[in-house]
Amino acid sequence: MASGGFRLRFGENHSVVEDRNETESPSRRTTRIRSKPKKYGDFLDNSPVKRRNYKDMSSSEEDSEINDEAALPKPTALFTEDDVEGQDMFKFKSRHTKQDLQNKVKTAIYSPKPVDSPMKTPKKLQSLIKVSQETPKQVKEIMRKRICNEVDSDSADSDFSGSSSDFVPEGSDHDETDSSSAEAASSSEEEVEQPKKVVGKAVKGRDNKAKVKDAEYYVTPDNYFIMHSSKKIATSDHTLARLKNLNIDENNVDDIQISAEHKEIIKDLNHSYTQLFNKWLYVLSENFNIILYGVGSKRSVLQQFQKQKLKDFPCIVVNGFFPSLTIKSILETIVIDLLENTNVPSNVGDVVNLIDTQLKENGVNLFLIIHNIDGTMLRNAKAQSILASISQIRNVHTIATIDHINAPLLWDHTKLSKFKFTWWDVTTFVPYSEETSYENSLMSHRSGALQLSSLKSVYQSLTTNAKGIFKIIIEYQLENQKQNYQGLPFKDLYSKCREQFLVSSDLALRAQLTEFLDHKLVKMKRTYDGSENLVIPIDITLLQQFLDQQTS
Amino acid sequence: MESTVSVSKGVFLFPNGYKKGKSNKKKNNQVLFEKIFRNELWYDTYKQNWYYIENELQHRPVKYRWGLLHIHPPDGTHHKTHSVLLNDIVNYIKNHGISESSTLEGIIPSATLLTGVNQPDHVSQFTSLIDLIRNEVTPHVALVNSQDAPSVKHLVENAVWQLIHGDQVIDYDDDEGVITQTKKLRKSQCTMKALRNWYNTKCMSSPRKKKSPQTKRTLVIIIPDFESFNCNVLQDFVMIVSSYVSTMPIVFVFGVATSVSALHKSFPYHVSSKLLIKVFHSHASPIYMNQVLEDIFLTHTSPFHLSGKAFELLTDVFLFYDFSVTGLIQSIKYCMMEHYYGDNTKSLCCDRDKLEDVIMQLTAEDLENIRQLMSFRPFLEKQDCKTKISLFNDDDFFKEALYKEMNRLHDYLYSFYMCLRLLCVFVKDLPKNMLGKSVREIYTKCASENVTGTSAFKDCLQLLKFQSQVKLVENIKSALKIVNSYLQNASPVKPLRSTLSKNNFNNITLSDDLGENFVKSLRVHLLTFLRQIEHANTETTITMSAVSDSENADENFPGNRYKLKEKLLKATRLDRVQSEFEMVRSRFVSYLEEMFSKGLQPMQGQPFHEVLAFSDVASVRKNIVGAPRAAVHTALSNPVHYLQSIRSPQMGPSWAVARCGAPEDIMGCRRSGSKSRSRNDLCSCCQLPSSDNVIDTLPDVCLAYKLHRECGKHINLYDWLQAFAAVLRPDDDDEQRHNDPTIQLRFTRAVAELQFLGFIKSSKRKTDHVMRLTW
Repeated sequence: MASGGFRLRFGENHSVVEDRNETESPSRRTTRIRSKPKKYGDFLDNSPVKRRNYKDMSSSEEDSEINDEAALPKPTALFTEDDVEGQDMFKFKSRHTKQDLQNKVKTAIYSPKPVDSPMKTPKKLQSLIKVSQETPKQVKEIMRKRICNEVDSDSADSDFSGSSSDFVPEGSDHDETDSSSAEAASSSEEEVEQPKKVVGKAVKGRDNKAKVKDAEYYVTPDNYFIMHSSKKIATSDHTLARLKNLNIDENNVDDIQISAEHKEIIKDLNHSYTQLFNKWLYVLSENFNIILYGVGSKRSVLQQFQKQKLKDFPCIVVNGFFPSLTIKSILETIVIDLLENTNVPSNVGDVVNLIDTQLKENGVNLFLIIHNIDGTMLRNAKAQSILASISQIRNVHTIATIDHINAPLLWDHTKLSKFKFTWWDVTTFVPYSEETSYENSLMSHRSGALQLSSLKSVYQSLTTNAKGIFKIIIEYQLENQKQNYQGLPFKDLYSKCREQFLVSSDLALRAQLTEFLDHKLVKMKRTYDGSENLVIPIDITLLQQFLDQQTS
Repeated sequence: MESTVSVSKGVFLFPNGYKKGKSNKKKNNQVLFEKIFRNELWYDTYKQNWYYIENELQHRPVKYRWGLLHIHPPDGTHHKTHSVLLNDIVNYIKNHGISESSTLEGIIPSATLLTGVNQPDHVSQFTSLIDLIRNEVTPHVALVNSQDAPSVKHLVENAVWQLIHGDQVIDYDDDEGVITQTKKLRKSQCTMKALRNWYNTKCMSSPRKKKSPQTKRTLVIIIPDFESFNCNVLQDFVMIVSSYVSTMPIVFVFGVATSVSALHKSFPYHVSSKLLIKVFHSHASPIYMNQVLEDIFLTHTSPFHLSGKAFELLTDVFLFYDFSVTGLIQSIKYCMMEHYYGDNTKSLCCDRDKLEDVIMQLTAEDLENIRQLMSFRPFLEKQDCKTKISLFNDDDFFKEALYKEMNRLHDYLYSFYMCLRLLCVFVKDLPKNMLGKSVREIYTKCASENVTGTSAFKDCLQLLKFQSQVKLVENIKSALKIVNSYLQNASPVKPLRSTLSKNNFNNITLSDDLGENFVKSLRVHLLTFLRQIEHANTETTITMSAVSDSENADENFPGNRYKLKEKLLKATRLDRVQSEFEMVRSRFVSYLEEMFSKGLQPMQGQPFHEVLAFSDVASVRKNIVGAPRAAVHTALSNPVHYLQSIRSPQMGPSWAVARCGAPEDIMGCRRSGSKSRSRNDLCSCCQLPSSDNVIDTLPDVCLAYKLHRECGKHINLYDWLQAFAAVLRPDDDDEQRHNDPTIQLRFTRAVAELQFLGFIKSSKRKTDHVMRLTW
């Protein structure tokens, strides 16, 4: 305990203390210390027989700590004051109330522009600062809100159906705040006297007990399971359908979101990494491999590195984020394209040996640049062990990037020792435009831009008759939207098509339909009376949009 | 469109002029890398020193890998001595390969080696085993890794191929290379039958066999990672081999990482009954680590030294993360690389003999850098005025002083490490282990602070004062052994080459004489103490009673109570008088204290210690133990940390230097920067009073991240979007927000990035909801 670097603190009210390193390197030994769980303490408190014993233990806290220390050697140099608190990262809230988001936004909007940034101050100080910076008016308002909530939504707790929004836009209670602000101004003296602690709590939410717990990093197993046991989702029922313009072409907006100042700084930041290039080369030449982490796309940095330093070396660039990447294609590129062999041996060990000997024979250094070694297709033990074996070869130098927060879980210590990574924090803040372009983003997936565009392209390739048929199905579906839409019966479709002179026979209609079925534009459902119903498996809103676009 | 973006391809090759036929052989290979660093003094020194360490490691591989038990004899033949364990295994193979297989039909003798979980280290362990077996028992050894044997076919092929071609290749690593060139037997032809045929023709009838006393040669198959194998494959393999074992003497060696029960679990009875298992235990990896550290790095011969803190970091990584000595050595290598990188003054960190040449090569700029070292200041203050001036102005004089000081530093290290070992000898058996048991633990204490001032040290000495004669003698003897071995390989200080003008460097006060003289006098002292203690009488009473006897003689009449009282009083006083041994012992202990306080001064106090000792822990720690999660969190919750304006006038240069990773401490620099910076230096818009705060100027991802942290397990996308919009456009009303496509776009992108970073994923539970993956 003598050295100051030691960071694991454990008091009675932390049942599990973790530090960040635990998640970083999965293979490594966890630095988890179990102290006696709170429950146990309660039990001892309640049972009169053992009470004395327990009292003794807790009264001589110093002693028990020393004993613990004797039993468990602890790392002394691993943790320093610069470390990010595990508590910061893994803040466990036993209960998220609907007001959380709203309060956050409110504080964001109303708090004055901050002045200083004591980022490195200890946790306690931070919370003090935070508290002291809030204006009384706002506090007052929040307190009022809280009381209101307490009064009128007592039942909301038990009923999680959640018809109200998590987030109530500010506009709706503007008048409220106005009136309260006057009130607040008049009674600001009283406000000062109010203990600050209460203020801090008020922002967080309703449940007092939960709040106290939130202050500490304190996870009891019970809490965890309570949080995850509820089958109901306690969020509001709003859907994105409420938005006016659901589908926006994503590609035509690139730079609007960054302010000029940020742009400049980010450019500088990225430029500063070029000064590491020589060192990277040095590290690589000593048979270490390099892994880059941090928020922001690191592609451009690596591209520059390749351009500046690796002009004379054979390089292989792997896009780990590429959705249909296979480990085989990487091996093929090395063995067939680069080393000009005819085939790749089936056995992994043979491949590695082959690469090793051929590179050695030719006296060539191969650079393997892997963007996102944690990409979806590389997220399996086999791919990683192959990559590790290849990286281990003396003449292969690997530079990889990771972005996923759980990426270090990929490697056990055998792989890590093969990889021989050195870790570099390369936070760039450059948007992941290429990396996320393959993925269908949650938003765009929901808003169906992809579906819509594919629908459009298929539609455009249809004959006019087929278009007509499809339109009939769409229109019927839109007219009959309800909870259990059964689909358009085939017979009805046929008669409608005949009316519009789209088809002349049952068979011709079926022929047209097979095209839709093949493209999965339409699904055929058989009802139990034997008739066939046609359903388009696409959201109603999307269909409406599609129809609007077609008619306009 | 960039060249590495494609919708149909994920792998791109840039041959950059590489053609297979073109023979850009060896010459190129080396030069390509080194052309950047060639001609740099520090790089050369680094290379030399690392080769030295690598050699050291390789010269005694057997000894280290097998956690040996012999303390190496001083005559320098230590690398000949193999560990008991290794010899045991080899003997087992020798004996069982031949004799017992004939008596027990179909039973394969198998040595099971419990290796421990630090698998990265096992590779070297098994290579040394193979070497030894090749030398002493049989050239036919096969080592099959689990990754090479996904099926029985592969396993058999690999094993048989290696057994057959084993005698043509010396090293396992090379023999794969031989496959391609000299195709003796194709792999697909390697079956057990082929092996038997080969064995019958080659081994039974070859004339070579006459030479060896045995009529048959054992075939050894090593399975180094037993647990990673598919059970069924191994079971089948064992059954197959057992049917051949009557015709060929085959011995297995299994490397088991966990416990013997693994063997029993994966083999059912009918398989395990075919095995004659003998278990060998290898040593725990901390012992191995201590060995390596003590013999290679914690010696005065090591060209490079770690400061207490750095050393602590590396041992912590070992003890708390991976238990891998290979990893530890790699980390030390990394520290060493970092130590030398880009700094010519570090070329002074070299062998003592080369010091002179190096000093001659230093440029004025390098000398100036040395003058900037922190430890130069106290040194300077000790000198008188004239010397001070010439130290600054006269480069030659400075060089000379530097040479002298560096030599002194080497002397210091020499006696430091010796004292360290002596302290270890005396302290390791004491109760409570206040200073630690191993040299490594004591080193961390001694290197970082003045250990003789600590209470733990004082307590230890106190305890030494109670030690028994026998124990003390034993300790002194082993201490003498250490001292003697040190005296043997001491290198005397050579006078500086005459080219350097003989300035009056007598003016430079040297603090105290350490080095060889110190050790010699120490040896004399130890010897005298040893003699004294050995011959010292432990019994006080006898000598004293002799005196009292003479007194008793004339006053020997009863009834005088006064006399009796006086006598008793005397007796009590007499008891307190120390025996001869006790007196010698307390003198000895106080000598030890004096000696250690001289020899174990902490490294920071020494002038120019920065040159030899690596202490930049913070930057190395970041590179050895990465912190990706922390970096992501910091970037998202407090982007200012990264978005400091680099080009601002006052901060600019120093920050840029720190960034480029030069010897300065990156973290330290940034930290000091963060203290001193004013608002103008930062991206003025996104400073936050605390990391929990949210403001509209934050980058979008950060904003979305902060908002999402307020939500529970499920997040309603719509509400999230509304909150996002409300922060960005607090003045708009609902309607306007709905209509603003830019905000929606920004949000979409932010969400996509958060998904990419792994914070959320889509959820099917409720429409337009996502699930949080962190809590």
